[in-house]
Amino acid sequence: MSQSYAAVGDIEDVQQGDGRVQDTLRIEHLSKTFPGQAALIDVDLTVAPGEVHALVGQNGSGKSTLIKILAGYHQPDEGGMAWVDGEELTLGDGQAASAAGIRFVHQDLGLVGSISTVENMSLAVGYMTGPGGRIRWRAERKRAREALDAIGAHGIDVRAAVDTLAPSQRTAVAIACALLNWEDGAKLLVLDEPTATLPGDDVNKLFEIIHRLRARGVSILYVSHHLDEVFELADTVTVLRDARKVTTTSVASLDNSGLIELIVGHHVETLDASDDPTSGKPVLTVRGLSGATVKGIDLNIHEGEIVGLAGITGSGREHVLALIAGQEPRVDGEVLIQGAPVDNYSPRDVIERGGAFVPAERTTRGVVGTMNVRENMSLSTLGQFFRRMWLSRRGEVNATHDWIDRLSVKTSSTESPIGSLSGGNQQKVVFGKALALKPRLLLLDEPTQGIDIGAKEQIHRLVDQASADGVATLVASTDTDELVRLCHRVVVMVDGHVATRFVGADITTEKIEHTQLQSSRRTS
Amino acid sequence: MIKRLGFDRYSALYLWAAFMLYFGITKNDTFISWTTFQLVFQENVFTAILALAFLVPMTTGAFDLSIGAQMSMSLVLTAYFAEHQIMPAGLGAIIGILACGIAGWISGFIVVKLKVNSFIATLGMSQVISAFIIHTSQQSINSPFSKEYMDFGAKPLFNLQRYFYMMIILAVILWFVLEHTPIGRYMFATGGNPEAARLSGVKTDRLVWGSLVVSGLIAGFAGTVYSWKVGNYDSSVGPGYLFPAVAAVFFGASQLKGRANVWGSLIAVYALAFGIWGLHLTFLNSIWIDPLFQGLSLLIAVSIASRPAVVKITKRRAEAKAAAGEPPEEPIGGPSPAPELR
Repeated sequence: MSQSYAAVGDIEDVQQGDGRVQDTLRIEHLSKTFPGQAALIDVDLTVAPGEVHALVGQNGSGKSTLIKILAGYHQPDEGGMAWVDGEELTLGDGQAASAAGIRFVHQDLGLVGSISTVENMSLAVGYMTGPGGRIRWRAERKRAREALDAIGAHGIDVRAAVDTLAPSQRTAVAIACALLNWEDGAKLLVLDEPTATLPGDDVNKLFEIIHRLRARGVSILYVSHHLDEVFELADTVTVLRDARKVTTTSVASLDNSGLIELIVGHHVETLDASDDPTSGKPVLTVRGLSGATVKGIDLNIHEGEIVGLAGITGSGREHVLALIAGQEPRVDGEVLIQGAPVDNYSPRDVIERGGAFVPAERTTRGVVGTMNVRENMSLSTLGQFFRRMWLSRRGEVNATHDWIDRLSVKTSSTESPIGSLSGGNQQKVVFGKALALKPRLLLLDEPTQGIDIGAKEQIHRLVDQASADGVATLVASTDTDELVRLCHRVVVMVDGHVATRFVGADITTEKIEHTQLQSSRRTS
Repeated sequence: MIKRLGFDRYSALYLWAAFMLYFGITKNDTFISWTTFQLVFQENVFTAILALAFLVPMTTGAFDLSIGAQMSMSLVLTAYFAEHQIMPAGLGAIIGILACGIAGWISGFIVVKLKVNSFIATLGMSQVISAFIIHTSQQSINSPFSKEYMDFGAKPLFNLQRYFYMMIILAVILWFVLEHTPIGRYMFATGGNPEAARLSGVKTDRLVWGSLVVSGLIAGFAGTVYSWKVGNYDSSVGPGYLFPAVAAVFFGASQLKGRANVWGSLIAVYALAFGIWGLHLTFLNSIWIDPLFQGLSLLIAVSIASRPAVVKITKRRAEAKAAAGEPPEEPIGGPSPAPELR
């Protein structure tokens, strides 16, 4: 250890001697080894003042580990060092990181949904109290409003429960919370997947906040799966692959396919040309479907057809699949699968008619966290393993192995707890559960939300393959590129109605996104 | 070391063995005897049956706190019918059991249809049943049963009475259903994540509702066994057995499989029962031992069960040694024995 301390002094001397601008964050030789698994190997990273630095890589590439070491959740292996503005930072110590001026907004935002913005901020930095321990609510509210104003997020009701806010507003509140007491010296804001749960339109609001922060001299370390965001936002990008740093380069020197190649490590065909739909029998018929924000939707999907559902959040896009699949009760309208009407609010009936549903929000609706991979995978098709009055363990294990191979699920065994898998692999298990039903209709709600590009491409290929086998697919997604990649037909929703349909060559990102925003009453 | 010897998953068995060893040495004249075995196994059959009653809805994430009251309702009805010679005791017992099933059905209706937390619903139901019992029984009913009726359940077989074997048969049936049929798996899935289970095609509402009916029927059967064993009713029967049964299921959930299960619950019932018996032999005239021992064992058992989660947190904080395996992208909840309240 004493040797490395000496080395530190040297580096600092050199830096100061050169008169170079000091890096906001400088990490050297950072490694992290878990038993049997190197999560980070000798990674260097520097973030310049006022820079937006993107950190990209597939799931398991080490992004999360790096952020968690910075935040103090993990202790790095010996030899890793870090400096903030030239001051050495004790790694693996959350308080030291905070004192040094590093602030974090994690993917789940870390807010308490049932209480207000004001109270969330007080949780972060403590209540302001008057005589007798009375909470000075007025001063608290003022502080909350000022904190939000400082990042340019206006018009948020600071007294409303955080759950009732729009997703972009929640993100703004989380950022404002992280930057409270800014004057104390917030130097680097780490945003971990901030857009994973943001609808497309709200992303721009987040970008405005980030631009404003950068203008005020805060550096940003931005972790994301969305490469378009990297190009729009970042100055510099660091790519991690298989626990190592591949490169750090300026974003201007890259194009989309170049960046994907760096991430994946080999050439990937993006945006496969989708085949024409096979004309066949109608599999899904929806008439006058209505729910809370959905106002009378008609749809027809034929054998082998992949239909996409686009629309900003609030357009009703996010409820259509839930209403069809029985996750939410329909107010009006009917749903027919293969000509047979489906009971309202009955996922069971959807399955019995030949449908299979992959719900949005994997952890709350997709997987049973207390069960293992096998039990999750076979949950919908358990009946077929019940032979001679006994649940055949061997049959179940074999079938699960088949699916693990077919979907390339990374898991040590069929008996691993589902929570020990990465998000992308958990989603593959949810897919396997749906495909095991041998469905005639696939209902996919945000099927690749928050998963890495490799897993995403695999899931897209599975959908292609199902389509080739004659399965009809309805997919709702905030990721317009995904719809362009997959669909034969895209339906764009605005204000609860179907605004436009695009077919074949007309399906382009620009057209879809342009149509999505064509609403006069858009408020969020 | 702890893992290899299975101190975590077999702690109740080790505890049991430790009790046998310790009391076998200190009280070798009285503890290691056929009488002890006979007594402990038979005295705790109610606790064992009630534990099974509590276990069934717990797999679906619902708590049934009315099982103690249901047990005494079944007993009171059977005794009342026999005392007033309304019908044969056997038929009375069946009606008593069915009445508990109906009470469970009502609890299920309140939980599933009215969306009331099962904890609250069954606690309320428990009080309503108690009122009914007090109204019907006027505190106690003395030995109203015929000899044939008593013999049917309490005739000895290999030195243990018949109802002990009935309990074992019941346990085997429940074990089979829970572990080796789709219904059991669906129940655990419902307890784990009701929405994910429902979207996977599991009829979660029916399972929760049905499990409360079944727990009522089993609790009613515990009342029948009491009538065979003791032959009369007094107002202290029933609710007093709730706590040890609940404690055993929670303790049992930390055993064998890491989730609520039949054999873990029964092992827990009897490990604790032998401990209590040994203590009774050591400290004569000490009724306070029962609640103390049961309370402590529940607290310790649940602490042990949440240990994996605690260890994880402590490890993360201290990071003395790296956690096992690859770090998951999302935090894993530790295997908690208590499903969320419904």
